[in-house]
Amino acid sequence: MSIVPSAKSTGALYWPVQARRNIGVRSLFLVVLAFLIAYGVLFPGLFAASGFAKFTQSWFPLALVAMAQAILMLTGGISLAIGATVSLGAVIAATTMAGPFGVAGGAAAVALTGLGIGAATGFIVVKLRLPAIVVTLAGSFIIGGAALLILPRPGGAIPAWLSDLLAGDTPAAFVLLVVIVLLWKLYLATPLGLSLYAAGENPVGAYRSGVPVDAARVAAYAISGLLSTGAGLFVAAQTGSGDPVIGTAFTLNSIAAAVLGGIGFLGGQGTMRGALAGSLLLSLMISVMFFLGFTPVAQYVAQGLIIIGAVAIPQFRKV
Amino acid sequence: MKKSSFFASASALCLGLVLAVSAGTTANAAANCIKGDRKPPYTIGWADIYSVPTWMKQTQGTIEAEVETLKKQGLVDKLVVTDAQGDANVQIQQIQSMIDSNIDAIILIAGSSTAPARVLADACAKGIAIINFDSLVDTDKVTAKVNTDSSQWGDQAAKFLINAIGGKGKILILNGPAGISVSDDRRKGADAELKAHPDVKVLAETNTPYNVAPAQEAVTSLLFANPEIDGILSLGGALSAGAVLALDKQGRDQVPITGENARQFLELWKEKGLKSWATMQPNWLGAFAAYTAVQALQGKDVPAFVKIPLPVIDNSNIDEYLARAKDFPADGYIYSPYDEELFKKLLAQK
Repeated sequence: MSIVPSAKSTGALYWPVQARRNIGVRSLFLVVLAFLIAYGVLFPGLFAASGFAKFTQSWFPLALVAMAQAILMLTGGISLAIGATVSLGAVIAATTMAGPFGVAGGAAAVALTGLGIGAATGFIVVKLRLPAIVVTLAGSFIIGGAALLILPRPGGAIPAWLSDLLAGDTPAAFVLLVVIVLLWKLYLATPLGLSLYAAGENPVGAYRSGVPVDAARVAAYAISGLLSTGAGLFVAAQTGSGDPVIGTAFTLNSIAAAVLGGIGFLGGQGTMRGALAGSLLLSLMISVMFFLGFTPVAQYVAQGLIIIGAVAIPQFRKV
Repeated sequence: MKKSSFFASASALCLGLVLAVSAGTTANAAANCIKGDRKPPYTIGWADIYSVPTWMKQTQGTIEAEVETLKKQGLVDKLVVTDAQGDANVQIQQIQSMIDSNIDAIILIAGSSTAPARVLADACAKGIAIINFDSLVDTDKVTAKVNTDSSQWGDQAAKFLINAIGGKGKILILNGPAGISVSDDRRKGADAELKAHPDVKVLAETNTPYNVAPAQEAVTSLLFANPEIDGILSLGGALSAGAVLALDKQGRDQVPITGENARQFLELWKEKGLKSWATMQPNWLGAFAAYTAVQALQGKDVPAFVKIPLPVIDNSNIDEYLARAKDFPADGYIYSPYDEELFKKLLAQK
């Protein structure tokens, strides 16, 4: 970043750039908005504090894993271990927080585990030059096995006050999500964050330009691990306990949310807001289809159609 | 699914239950979660964890049949069905939606034995009747839990098998998926018998989904490794069918095996002349849950836990089950007969 533009011109550039990055996901935003309105009409309680709180709590863990997957996909990576990592985060939280280390100790254990697993995975993928899909698939067995070792069957406990704080009738989850998104914006302004897109879109070019490609990618894996175990902690708080297989479905859902949000598999393509919108749509669909009275079979079909629709609309507009 | 008259005649025989029928039970105390402010006709929510397996489809069939009966009585006007597609988090969200839509009753098979506890407590606080059956949640904030005893299942299966192989020999143990309470409980239930018979050597254990193909694959590889096997302690019907097929494909002699009321297994049992024993998780637990929910909403006292005695299938009654086989899907479960009389008896037990 040798060019230092004047404050005025950055300000002038910022919004057009942001707007251009929205092009691919504008239709997704419209679909999400339509679903939000539909949900609000079908269930007016959504606008009450507790209705809003419960809804954002359903969405929150999916939003976190969507971010965890998106940050990897932006660097050209992927993780099939996100679900297992969520489970591990949940069982660590449920086994430590009610113990002598307390909530702070438990949260630290969850965070360190996430960062550690992520950094180790990233190191293997980046430094040993192994395919991410293979490493994380193998990792999912190891991490999932570790979760089962810690808690062979559902159990453990989360202090009730923490459950009520994070997943009670207050919009704490939503506030937390806003904070995490702001932190993400902040991260993008750091050298490692700036390198993220470059490392994903054109790693060789970026490397030759002096971008710390490897460091950016390992950091992305570490952050992804942290977000995943964080989602696990939240699920444990939300449910009041730990379950060693609770996260399984998050692997596929995180990929679905990211892809729906316009993140490309090849790296450097897409935005975090897209991934978040994708995860919001997946979560909204479940509730909206319930209130529309869809039968389970119709839900399967409708889900597929909505996803194809949300991805295909921008293509029609190009034609 | 309307075979009530036949069910009525056969039910007493099939479930030799020790049920003290406390005649004229007066309902004084309302059941847990019930506030008495909900009036018929009721809307019942069926929070299915995963609708695709045949066992689940059959279970839903019994729920739908029961709801039809209750509709005719003017007690129920609507059945709302959700499918969490195996995801415990989605199930929680769907239960939340049921609460939001002010439903009268929720019946559920839980996707996790712990995860739905908090959302169910919310539902209970709103006076919704909650009947949890099959896979249970560790919470008392429900109206009633309904289940067979998984640990007794394991215990009885182990007793039969150890007896069948003469108290000593080498056996395989086939379990359902790891980390699932039901499979864990069945396995733990077998422990006491296994410990009491040190001459019974466990060669290997498997954890597979409750499906034929994965079990067959797992047993096949174990057969290569173990030339000598005297018996198989299988804790699931599809697992038993997979094991029998694996032995058959390898040209090995069939050995004593335990199982479940899976139609495929019962037919193999007859066809191969197996020395076998089976029990079941009756599909009509679903119908019973719907029935119990309505009873509770009407102010009847409902026990917090209804233990369903395990129906046993052995060589003395397998023909009765196979005679009804054509009424059940080829990959389904031939459950024991049921009727309203049976439900009343089950609710009356203390």
